[in-house]
Amino acid sequence: MQSTTTRMPRRDFPELCFTALLACYPPSFRARFGVEMQGFFRARRAEARHRHGYRGVARLWWHLVIDVLSSAPVEWLHLLTSRAEALHADEVDVPWSSPFYLDREETMDAVRQDLRFALRTLRSRPAFTFIAVLTLALGIGATTAIFSVVNAVLLRPLPWPDAKRLVLVWGTRGEDRQVGVVYLDYLDWQKQSRSFDALAVMRGQSVNLTGGDRPERIIGSFITANMFAALGATPVQGRFFTDAETQVGTKQAVAVISDDFWRSHLGGRADVLGRTLVLNGLPFTIVGVTRPETTAPLGTPDVWMPIGFYPNAGDLELRGRPGVLVVGKLKASVSVERAQADLDAIARRLGGEYPATNAGIGVNVQPLVEQIVGPVRTPILVVLGAVAIVLLIACANVANLQLARAAARRRELSVRTALGAGRSRLIRQLLTESLVLSVVGGALGVAIARWGVSLLAAQLAATIPVNGTVGLDAPVLLFAMAVTLGAGILFGSAPAWQYSRADVRDALTVRGDGGASRAARSMLRNVLVAAQIALSVVLLVSAGLLTRSLAALSRVDPGFDASHVLTLQFRLPAAKYPTEGQICAMFTRTLEEMRAVPGVQHAALVRATPLNGNGETFPYYLPGKPLADASKAPTAQLNIVSGDYFATLRIPRLVGRDFTIDDRADAPPVVIVNEQLARRAWPNESPIGKTIRIGGSGAPWATVVGVVGTVKHFRLSEDPLDEAYMPYLQRPLIFTEVVVRAAGDPAAVANSIRAAVWRVDRDQPVWRVRTMNRVLDEARGGPRLTVWLMTGFAMLALVLAAIGVYGVMSYAVARRTQEVGIRMALGARRYQVLAMVLRDGMRTTTLALFIGLAIAALATRLLASQLFGVSATDPLTFTVVPLVLGLIALAACYLPARRASRVDPIVALRAD
Amino acid sequence: MKRSPEAQDLLPLTPVVLHILLALADGRRDESDDSPGRHGYAVAQEVEEMTEGQIRMGPGTLYGSIQRMLTSALIEEVMRPRGGARQSPATDDERRRYYRLTPLGQRVLELELARLARVVSVARAKHLLRGLEPA
Repeated sequence: MQSTTTRMPRRDFPELCFTALLACYPPSFRARFGVEMQGFFRARRAEARHRHGYRGVARLWWHLVIDVLSSAPVEWLHLLTSRAEALHADEVDVPWSSPFYLDREETMDAVRQDLRFALRTLRSRPAFTFIAVLTLALGIGATTAIFSVVNAVLLRPLPWPDAKRLVLVWGTRGEDRQVGVVYLDYLDWQKQSRSFDALAVMRGQSVNLTGGDRPERIIGSFITANMFAALGATPVQGRFFTDAETQVGTKQAVAVISDDFWRSHLGGRADVLGRTLVLNGLPFTIVGVTRPETTAPLGTPDVWMPIGFYPNAGDLELRGRPGVLVVGKLKASVSVERAQADLDAIARRLGGEYPATNAGIGVNVQPLVEQIVGPVRTPILVVLGAVAIVLLIACANVANLQLARAAARRRELSVRTALGAGRSRLIRQLLTESLVLSVVGGALGVAIARWGVSLLAAQLAATIPVNGTVGLDAPVLLFAMAVTLGAGILFGSAPAWQYSRADVRDALTVRGDGGASRAARSMLRNVLVAAQIALSVVLLVSAGLLTRSLAALSRVDPGFDASHVLTLQFRLPAAKYPTEGQICAMFTRTLEEMRAVPGVQHAALVRATPLNGNGETFPYYLPGKPLADASKAPTAQLNIVSGDYFATLRIPRLVGRDFTIDDRADAPPVVIVNEQLARRAWPNESPIGKTIRIGGSGAPWATVVGVVGTVKHFRLSEDPLDEAYMPYLQRPLIFTEVVVRAAGDPAAVANSIRAAVWRVDRDQPVWRVRTMNRVLDEARGGPRLTVWLMTGFAMLALVLAAIGVYGVMSYAVARRTQEVGIRMALGARRYQVLAMVLRDGMRTTTLALFIGLAIAALATRLLASQLFGVSATDPLTFTVVPLVLGLIALAACYLPARRASRVDPIVALRAD
Repeated sequence: MKRSPEAQDLLPLTPVVLHILLALADGRRDESDDSPGRHGYAVAQEVEEMTEGQIRMGPGTLYGSIQRMLTSALIEEVMRPRGGARQSPATDDERRRYYRLTPLGQRVLELELARLARVVSVARAKHLLRGLEPA
């Protein structure tokens, strides 16, 4: 209100948010302290950002919200009491009391009285109390359950010291921003960059553990020595690796085991250091044990080994063979951008030095938190937004119920005033009632949340990187408490505010419900109902779009037939199978054993089963089409398969032949391409007999012998990818997956298939034994949870909004009974009365529907990235939702309207 | 009719009020009546330092307390910062308002501190402070 406002600097989004928060305070308080509080906020924010980065800012907001929610009610209470005291100052001798410490005994006494009275009032109206408490419990419960996820995934800091300085460094090629890093490139970065405290390599891979009762697959991580330094880890026993031990070519096989592995596999025994583990067929000496809390980015291994023992270690000595993951810890003073610029310069130099392999290879420095949390942030926030809307609708409902009741209670309150109850006391009484409602609702809500979280937790673990456990821990309970109190104040302030404005002395003299405040009140009620309808539109539209998107996704043809198919995988230890001939022999014998299993129709090997997460992309080249820029080469998925693979998954063979046992190492190299690649490489030509080279300059030219259908490889929502298949006999890898088509239930042959592998090598562990239907389900499962939650919340919103409309219309009709009676006595027809009441109700509804659609059109833009096969402004959804909501509102208006039209004029006229 | 408040009526103080008074008292001791006062954020920071981070006030808590301390005349607003030597230029800001103790505030603080000192001396007599104090 002062000239200071004109000098305000331009506000950014966080400042606007804070300004919005300040709306919780009484206007007089805001006018006096608003500018100062803004200044305070700016200073705190600058400090938080400077000292703690993104998480500091998150924590700051958390503190701010709690601070505001806990102090704003106090200001209102002070304002209301002082206003009431001022009104009555000439009547009552108000003793001066400390504004800081109220006399404890007196306060407790008053509070106890208020509470007792509130409970009595609420008990005397069980229907109202039941509906209000249930509404609040659902709202608070749902909000708390979802917040527990937000807390565990987005708010909790990552489990490493200085985690905000941790980054992943990827290679880039063309459009692809997340290519594995070439080890030799990494060594150059390590030598030349100035931005990192530690720049470390890791390569996670499953490892065969033998020497026990049966072979087992455990999770291994092959690292450089400084990985532990980057993660800020220290050993609980023994030591970590030395730099010499992690040099490529070292012969010292040492291992560090996780606390978990130490307990589960070595019985937690004290003399574990110096013992030997047989991993991938090689003896490793245990030199250290990590702390229980030590984890690695993207999955915690059971055992850590030097990078030199990585099974494909040959790759580490070649440029142009990407394969390792690089984790960096930035120096305290270095930003992600500076590190990026630093590595960009090095990558350009390498591109000049090694044009054959490094031209066009770039670097992408990505904060670790982005990699871990980034993809789930939007869906989680969308669901949180949805649940907040449900809570708001619930609050509006209870506020409306309270308003209706406050009107009915006017005379009761007036009588109490006349009998000497102070005005401040009555306001406190009304607020106490609201708070009792919200606290009971909140307690029930926490119980609902506990149940909800237990339902959610299992679903979540599969789809979201949860840091720690999802549960009702201290921050979540604190949040539930803040929401409960906030809700109580939000819906309780309406009647209290109204009461503090009305002049009570009039209420005794005028009968019933009179005067201008009635118009104001019915206005407020209409606004509340309109807000409910508008919010419901937003929620229903969002849920509708997501449902349509899910439906589109489940209609996607993956390109293969998943029924009756079992998949599993294994990796041969390189030490035991050092030559390609040995690998091929093992694979061929395993295939024979599997095909001999009763009930198996087809069995095949494949490097990467579709939708199973694996896959490797290579650039490919065509003869006679040299490229000016090597980095512009098109890329394809290269899959290594055995014959019969296409028949096993029923991927259609369009032209040409399948691989046979004759496509051996000494035969001419052959390749089968998918339809997508064929169309792109040889448009309008038959690809059969054409040649193609997949991979770097060392890769052979292969002849196309067949074309097959295109499958979805990584995601159902992906655009068709170029894919090429080569026979395992010509390109053997030690890792393979297996697909088996059974005559009946594929799960039934799982044990026989395992046994078939063990007949060939009894030390060979197999894992991830799953039916292909489950793989397909999981590919569709990510968005499904979001859709279920959104639909559930939308339905809840719909029910609450319908109750709201019905309540307001019933009240409006009851109030107009007398008017209706007069109209009917004067000759109005029933249908005219019906139409009149309906018109009133539908006017609010229609306006609210349009406002809701406008908000929804803006809000669904945030959803666009989550949608597949449906636009964010899908006309169908935007038509059906308002129609359905309109019909429901119409029904909610119709019941009271019919009651009005049946009014007996005589009874109505006699009514009070 | 309201009685005007006596210093004694305001005791005991809440920890937040006590610390705000303490933070402001600092400035007054140096320059007596011509105290420059402090602005809200500086008070909050000083309190946080004094309590080693145990009391970290949000804006609502701080200005709510300031509001009531103004009403009960424990502190008063200073029109402009004078002798701005105490504020670093980076945190200084024209728009901010400055507050300082009133004589009543000074008196209340002294009474409260005397009360606390009595508590401490009783505790000391009962040897409850061993290990908490330098010998």
